[in-house]
Amino acid sequence: MALATVLIDGNNFYASCEAVVDPAVVGRPLVVLSNNDGCIVSRSAEARALGIAMGVPYFKVRQQLERHGVVVRSSNYALYADMSQRLMTTLERWLEELEVYSIDEAFGVLHRPVTGDLSAWGRALRREVLCHLGLPVAVGIAGTKVLAKIANRAAKADPARAGVLDLAVEPDADALLARIAIEDVWGIGRRLARWCRLRGVADARALRDMPSGELQRKCGVVGLRLQQELRGQACLPLVRVAPPKQETCVSRSFSQPVESLEALRQAVATYLVRAAEKLRQQGQRAGAITVFVRSSPFNGTSLYSQAATVVLPLASNDTAVLLAAALPLAERLFRPRKPLQKAGVLLQQLQSEDLLQHHLLLPLPLEQQQRRERLMAVIDALNRRFGRGAVQWAACGLRPAWTMRRSRLSRAATTCLAQIPVVQAR
Amino acid sequence: MKLFGLVLGVPLNLPPDLPPDLPLAEAVKADPGGVDLAALLVRDPAATLLLRVSGPSMQGAGIDHGDLLLVDCGLEPRPGQVVVARLGDGFTVKRLVRWRGQLALAAAHPAYPLLPLDPQGDHRLLGVVRHVIRRC
Repeated sequence: MALATVLIDGNNFYASCEAVVDPAVVGRPLVVLSNNDGCIVSRSAEARALGIAMGVPYFKVRQQLERHGVVVRSSNYALYADMSQRLMTTLERWLEELEVYSIDEAFGVLHRPVTGDLSAWGRALRREVLCHLGLPVAVGIAGTKVLAKIANRAAKADPARAGVLDLAVEPDADALLARIAIEDVWGIGRRLARWCRLRGVADARALRDMPSGELQRKCGVVGLRLQQELRGQACLPLVRVAPPKQETCVSRSFSQPVESLEALRQAVATYLVRAAEKLRQQGQRAGAITVFVRSSPFNGTSLYSQAATVVLPLASNDTAVLLAAALPLAERLFRPRKPLQKAGVLLQQLQSEDLLQHHLLLPLPLEQQQRRERLMAVIDALNRRFGRGAVQWAACGLRPAWTMRRSRLSRAATTCLAQIPVVQAR
Repeated sequence: MKLFGLVLGVPLNLPPDLPPDLPLAEAVKADPGGVDLAALLVRDPAATLLLRVSGPSMQGAGIDHGDLLLVDCGLEPRPGQVVVARLGDGFTVKRLVRWRGQLALAAAHPAYPLLPLDPQGDHRLLGVVRHVIRRC
């Protein structure tokens, strides 16, 4: 029996999550803004219908949004992450294997039934997710990942499909592939798309049918695999277990330009504390730290973008050790009269905790080392229990002015008891 | 709010050299210890919402102002059940009833009227209220 590959993703996922927990915005145009209330990253169907574009900076369309009475929300990651977990838990029951590809997107495989048609299965899955979670999804079904992506795209583009398309039983799959622009094929970057178009290859069908040799000479085995996937031969297996992380990054844009060394030190310390916490959660230690800063590209002065790295003598996940190494980098990067818009901390050369290479010059005697580890564990436990920042490192500052702007944040309606929605009994 | 794995009681860790035919060891193997409260209250964590009640209209059904409701959105609401619906721009908790050949939402309080559900109206039945949580 043949295997089917399925791609399921949420329609306007962030905007849909907002409507799940707030009935007042159901049926209204709504947009969600990126970090720091920068750009529009998700639009409800009603907002799309108004012609509001994806990715535009908020400040540019603010008046247009107000005129149309569009609801504007900051990104509520606590809510989206919880709804994502609910979605993936539900999908796992419907598929034999699942690869969580992004917050609102998953590949899955299952065996095709004898009848060969999975459209009814897809519709039942879609109905369950909509009823149980209140989230609309699109289901693309095909023989390979690349084709499942295309099926998903086509399922969304045509309202008559009602969000489900099985390419294997599509009467005219060739015509459908011919309607998919080359730029929209999964795995085709901007440069490769331009190269294809120069050769008259403008859509998915033309890419499938072009000579393999030419494609291989241009982009090697990657291009060949892509073409084979388009021809229905699966060569991109599901990635089921996330490989151990090689790097951990925490970076944010500032709500207002950072112009003092003290504020930059606080920001770097805050990001590093968070990154170190992630590191301990992952059971890893970092061998190197990179701090990077960037000035605003919009403020007229020349762009200042710089990074600095320090290699640790011994890999560590002790916040105090990492802070001591990272803060001098902030000093090195700071320039007076260069207002900064963004900074970040990248922890690199990660290795497993139980793999600490023995070092002749251990920084601390074993007993002290173990006490430090217990201290970190206690701090993490307190912050988990009482909320992030319950125990804070002094280097992060008390009332920072630069924290991310999220002025239109909805409530953590599914993850925080104090913020759950109200149901009227009136 | 973790709906997974709230366990009351301390799971027992028996010493490994305990004779396996000891009644205690057998009992522990059958039930490794503790009452999993979340499993008791929540059928499907992915489809469960927690909502806070505002208002007295369901007092007759044992639901009062300030209570927490565990709502199972994975169950299709049937007449007779206490349900949560999105009605206009708010959530509302009522008993689903049949009334003159259509569905309606009934309060459990004499001061509140019956709300007939127009099949074409702006509403959606979300799920069934499974548990009421109240501090005594």
